[in-house]
Amino acid sequence: MSTMLEADTLLAIDVGSVNTRASLFDVVDGKYRLVATGRAASTAGAPLSDVSEGVRGALEQVQSVTGRRLIDEAESLIMPATAGGAGVDVFVATTSAGPLARTLLVGLMPGVSVESARRLAASCYLDVAGELGLMDRRREDEKLDTIVQAKPDLVLLVGGTDGGATHSVLRLVDLVGAGLGLLPDPEPPRVVYAGNQRLAADVTARLGERFPVTVVPNIRPAIEQEELAAARQRLSDVIHDLRSSRISGFEELRQWSGGNLMNTADAFGRIIRYLSQVYDPAKGVLGIDLGASHTTIAAGFGGDLHLLVRSDLGQGSALPGLLRHSTLLDIQRWLPIEVSEARLRDYIFNKALHPGIVPIGMEELHLEYALARQVARTALELARADWPLGKDAASHPLLPPMEPILASGGVLARAPRPGYSALALLDALQPTGIATLVLDPYNLTPGLGVAGGPLPMATVQALDSGSFVSLGTVVAPVGRGRPGRPVLRLRLERERGETSEGEVRYGQLSVLPLKQGDFGKLTLRPERGFDVGFGAPGRAGAVRVAGGAVGLIIDARGRPLQGPRDSGRAHDLNQKWLWDIGALE
Amino acid sequence: MLPITHVIPLTTVRRERSLPAAGTVTARVNEKVQAGDVLAQAEPPARHYLLDLARALGVPEKDAVRHLRHQPGERVDSGDVLAGPVGLGRRTLRAPAAGQIVSVGDGRILFEAHGEMVSLKAGYAGIVVATDGVQSVTLEATAALVQAVWGNGRQDYGVLRVVGGGAADRLKTEDFDINLRGAVLIAGTCTHAAPLHQATELSCRGLILGGLGSELIPVVRRLPYPVLVVEGFGDVPMNAAAYSLLVTNAGREAALDGRVGGLYSHQRPEIIIPMPANRQVSLPDEVIPLQQGVRVRVVHAPYHGAVGVVREVLQRAVGYPSGILARSARVDLEGIGTTNVPLANLEILQ
Repeated sequence: MSTMLEADTLLAIDVGSVNTRASLFDVVDGKYRLVATGRAASTAGAPLSDVSEGVRGALEQVQSVTGRRLIDEAESLIMPATAGGAGVDVFVATTSAGPLARTLLVGLMPGVSVESARRLAASCYLDVAGELGLMDRRREDEKLDTIVQAKPDLVLLVGGTDGGATHSVLRLVDLVGAGLGLLPDPEPPRVVYAGNQRLAADVTARLGERFPVTVVPNIRPAIEQEELAAARQRLSDVIHDLRSSRISGFEELRQWSGGNLMNTADAFGRIIRYLSQVYDPAKGVLGIDLGASHTTIAAGFGGDLHLLVRSDLGQGSALPGLLRHSTLLDIQRWLPIEVSEARLRDYIFNKALHPGIVPIGMEELHLEYALARQVARTALELARADWPLGKDAASHPLLPPMEPILASGGVLARAPRPGYSALALLDALQPTGIATLVLDPYNLTPGLGVAGGPLPMATVQALDSGSFVSLGTVVAPVGRGRPGRPVLRLRLERERGETSEGEVRYGQLSVLPLKQGDFGKLTLRPERGFDVGFGAPGRAGAVRVAGGAVGLIIDARGRPLQGPRDSGRAHDLNQKWLWDIGALE
Repeated sequence: MLPITHVIPLTTVRRERSLPAAGTVTARVNEKVQAGDVLAQAEPPARHYLLDLARALGVPEKDAVRHLRHQPGERVDSGDVLAGPVGLGRRTLRAPAAGQIVSVGDGRILFEAHGEMVSLKAGYAGIVVATDGVQSVTLEATAALVQAVWGNGRQDYGVLRVVGGGAADRLKTEDFDINLRGAVLIAGTCTHAAPLHQATELSCRGLILGGLGSELIPVVRRLPYPVLVVEGFGDVPMNAAAYSLLVTNAGREAALDGRVGGLYSHQRPEIIIPMPANRQVSLPDEVIPLQQGVRVRVVHAPYHGAVGVVREVLQRAVGYPSGILARSARVDLEGIGTTNVPLANLEILQ
């Protein structure tokens, strides 16, 4: 074992609804590096309803790549690592698989505790089946029927600032107790209490005999104060318990991990929060995970995390949910070819039936990326309502400056060329100013998020290693102009010696070669009315930029991006942009 | 491990049927039942009432309980006196609906009104092999089984009839005639609403399709009969194995279950065709390893619905016109020839 580091080998498992991935990290030259990854189909669903098979499949792939034995004869993980090089020192796991917990939200004040409860629920894997509040004008018996009809697996009970309202909270607690008592299900619902902490004992006394009650920190300790993080962590434990009661294998993962088992979204958010503490405090950090069953948007602003998990938006089983937020025309605008509405709709519903399918032809590939753009864009718009300035979203339609932007998800990871992923992210997120697009092709972020607990050094070093793919630095000037009008002049002095200079015009998407691992000094002189993030429109400046798989991307297509209304022209433009960014050969 | 779809001419089908709430199971273990037989019944609660007993009787809260005439759990009819009479005015509290008192406290009655009686039918002819006595019954039968990918949530049974010109034929209104009244129809694909309404007019008991235009999903959800889609959405013909098995059994009674359970449920839309049982047959396999000789079907374009046999599971990933590399198998597809198909686009067909 290294003397500098706490442990040598780290194994991370992520159990998704479609894929289970294993990632093995080891210390190479004194630093943690990704050594191997393995992937297998998840087995959380029918007919097995046991994640173990998928986990073993992914581990076997890692074993076959590395030759390192990870599982012993008793089918258990070898831990800690042996002197002979078998096993691992630390194991962490994340999961987003499993049915959503049907949840009843109960709060006191609309716009205060109820709103906080909604935000907490939206950052976990919950299906909100009903809501009750103190200001609810329904009769008491109607409220009871709401509880019965919700058939909750979980009740999230909030309300009252610490030391605040007591009587109203307890009235709600009694109502919930009466309603839950009417449920026929032999499996009693779990109650999570995240309200006035002075009432915790009373709540447990009134409900605890009949229903398992978990008291978590108040999410609204004061009217002006919202604290979701601590409650989210404890709520995740309850969600894990519910999962474990329905799907086998999670308990084994929990044992292997010594408790280091987290919800994928929580762990993903943990990394984004960390990055927002170490990167430029004037900018935020954005993370997007495009999963088959969920889309996660995590935004960090100086350590303040805003996390949204949308279970109605995803690239697989959740895809039809997109049609509740978007029209088919919204999706078609991203296509470089003509595809009928019927064909597009059929594709969406077939993808929901078979989330893991691989697009064989170019038409399907274009459909995949058009859908990815719209899913990501929709999720981002929903998430932004909760960000700072979110209330003024109408007057701030542009994405605030973000550095870096971290993206993951099967559709982005398996792109035939990096340009596909880069263009999909540019179109969907429409970054402003200067930002780096980073792709997590092996879905390492959640595992590193959990590893931040037992092995913080592994997280820091692996994030800095080459395991993440930089797609490139993006320069996206903000301003409006006529197509063809000069937007900026630039000069790129590569640290390896070569220099490029040029002018970029409005409407152009151009790429300057700058490979991953290469750096350069980029000097930008925007025209009057165009802002690249140097403090004001028209202000020039220089910045050190990193290269990437695509290169240095100058996106002068305008913000917000507005495509032509004519579908034929839109197709031509989308095709041109694919060429410009190097997605097509 | 690939997902499995069952298209089996003869197997043992064992299914649990459940009431939405606890009730009374009338079927007995080892009893032979027919598709239309009622196995159990229940009256799930329709709604709840909080009745102010003290106020209705005009008595203090602490005295109200002693005027009750029915105990919690006791069944009452609508209008029955729950408490009273009290005083000179002979004040009473009557049941707002048929139901039962759930609990009494603080001078109030929590009353549960019963909903309409729900009957649990067998759905297919078989033998009762287990029951919990209050809510669920497990039925077993020797049958042909065809699993589908989507259904409109409805269940029914009836005699199978073929309509239209084959697995790839689009269903048209002119395909219908009076002989199809009350039947379960086997058809190719459907991309227009008119034939679906025509089937409603003929009181059809079910429709089995290869493909369905996804724009018809809202229409199909409202239809009174079960619609099952075997392949997927769009103009997709039914796979040859399923179509041939269904057509071979035209004239037999089939049970259609159009309920979709989702990724984490064992419930799949399916067609069960009970067969005369001459011998014991095995249950369908839940896990089949992918290897040479295994029968598969393609679940995505360009060969969506095609059936074939695995010639080889390829060790190296294969590149496709989309540019994507994918682990693949070399498959002999019926009527198409030998081709590479990504493993993710295959299902094992048993």
